[in-house]
Amino acid sequence: MNASPATPSPAPGRSGLLQRAPLPLLLALAFALPLFVRSATYLHILILLLLYAYLTTSWNLVGGFAGVLPLGHAAFVGIGAYTSTVLSLQYGLSPWIGMVIGGILSTFVGVLIGLPTFKMRGAYFALATIAFAEGLRVMVENIDQLGPFRLNGPRGLQIPPLELGFGRFMFAEKEPYYYIILTMLVLAVGITWAVSRSKLGYCLAAGGEEPEAAQSLGVNVARVKLVAMAISSFLTSLAGTFWAQFTLYIHPKSVMSLDISFEIAFIALIGGRGSIAGPLLGALLLRPVSDFSRIHFGDTLPGLHLVIFGVVLILVMLYQPRGLQEPLTRFYRRGMRRLFGAVEGG
Amino acid sequence: MRLLELHRVSKHFGGIRAVEEFSLEVQAGEIVGLIGPNGAGKSTLFNCVAGVFPPTSGEIVFQGKRIDGRKPWELCRLGIARTFQIVKPFASRTVLYNVTVGAFAATSRLAEAERRALEVLRTLRMEDKAHVRAANLTIADRKRLEIARALATRPRLLLLDEVMAGLRPTEVDEMVAVIRRLRESGITFFVIEHIMRAVMALSDRIAVLHFGHKIAEGAPAEVARDERVIKAYLGEDYGAA
Repeated sequence: MNASPATPSPAPGRSGLLQRAPLPLLLALAFALPLFVRSATYLHILILLLLYAYLTTSWNLVGGFAGVLPLGHAAFVGIGAYTSTVLSLQYGLSPWIGMVIGGILSTFVGVLIGLPTFKMRGAYFALATIAFAEGLRVMVENIDQLGPFRLNGPRGLQIPPLELGFGRFMFAEKEPYYYIILTMLVLAVGITWAVSRSKLGYCLAAGGEEPEAAQSLGVNVARVKLVAMAISSFLTSLAGTFWAQFTLYIHPKSVMSLDISFEIAFIALIGGRGSIAGPLLGALLLRPVSDFSRIHFGDTLPGLHLVIFGVVLILVMLYQPRGLQEPLTRFYRRGMRRLFGAVEGG
Repeated sequence: MRLLELHRVSKHFGGIRAVEEFSLEVQAGEIVGLIGPNGAGKSTLFNCVAGVFPPTSGEIVFQGKRIDGRKPWELCRLGIARTFQIVKPFASRTVLYNVTVGAFAATSRLAEAERRALEVLRTLRMEDKAHVRAANLTIADRKRLEIARALATRPRLLLLDEVMAGLRPTEVDEMVAVIRRLRESGITFFVIEHIMRAVMALSDRIAVLHFGHKIAEGAPAEVARDERVIKAYLGEDYGAA
């Protein structure tokens, strides 16, 4: 065979660049937002929005790229929250360190769940993860003392705000929390982006779509899913610590509830799973619905937001099965093209 | 040099004896065809070689090493790649993405894998479709994509499961030419094929499977004359003619 000259590949990165162009702008806006939003309530809502964007982004590594539907990620939120809180209350350990320890513990648990369940398909996997997370919640609800650790059963743990400051992960104002969760989100998105452009990302996508074909191409599908699960449960767990430090009160029904797992899945499915923008978009659209329904209908119609999500999800699945990110990216690209001329193709 | 050896390989599913004591040797650089009527056990045999399931008994040896019972991804790393009779593209992804997954078998770097994938696509004259979504390909191109992905893993042995089925005659000719070119580059082929014209033209040797048993083996012309083969394909009445 004669060496053929390298023909120019039709620039696969260009459309990506076009997408990334406004990223610094968006980021600057996100960092500047607390300067304009002075109301503590709205800042609180924004923080929860970012928290769910972060949770969904972390979930997306398994639920999006690996093509399975885990519905038990609340378990990792709980493990993260309880680990750092118990260690800080009983041993005075900085929640930052507890955060990492919780993350490692969650990774371990995540892999342990993944080992048997990744062999299951579709709904069976989803059900198994629900069962696990619920099982863990019920256990924590019924345990007051686990060896040396005080869990306090259903009453949960209160974190007295005695000592404020970065080292204690505790602040009187909401702004520091905002910046912490925003930084965490940026990092998680960065990790997702790196994974999607790596061998792991390709293998996950392949294994999620056609496992048999992927295996024949050298992909150990079960193993790459476990790796994704490990990263995902680690990241999810960090959010648990954040949650605990932000609300200063955790109990099994708050940080381990099935609602969290479901809301994550709703956000991902409606936004577009398996894409980087999907979780962000989904959180941006759904979180306000969730908060306002709780504020205005919390007493009369609790759980209304889940009903609304369900309806929205049905509509999205019917008309945009790949999530809302797809039409929006298309729309956005068209707009960019109109603004800057035919950048793509040619 | 013997690349692949099958020693008395059997595969039973409960009471069904899909493959019974099948033996065959494939030399490096050969193209060996496997033919037989529908349900003869061809795909079952392929699946045993490709690691989808282990044989019930018998030995499969590749490059002198026992490989029966190994998993598909392990076999891929050893140098065995395959295509699927019912094509399984990563439909939501581009052709380039599909082939890059295969190329990742030999490297961990995306740039390197994509370079390798484009090289393979050029070899198969598919580079113009690199950015087309696999779901939008014609059946001929999907079959080609199966080969491209498998090739990107840098196999020594390529198992082709009916890559010509559903192709138009001109497309069959193209595919035959492609496989010949690939053989020139040093790849060994073990092919299941129903299109006689193609398998006769391609193969150095042909094995015939009938109800799980090998009933003939030899050069294409010999096999085509074999009475048992004619009977198996055309029925008892033709045997006397």
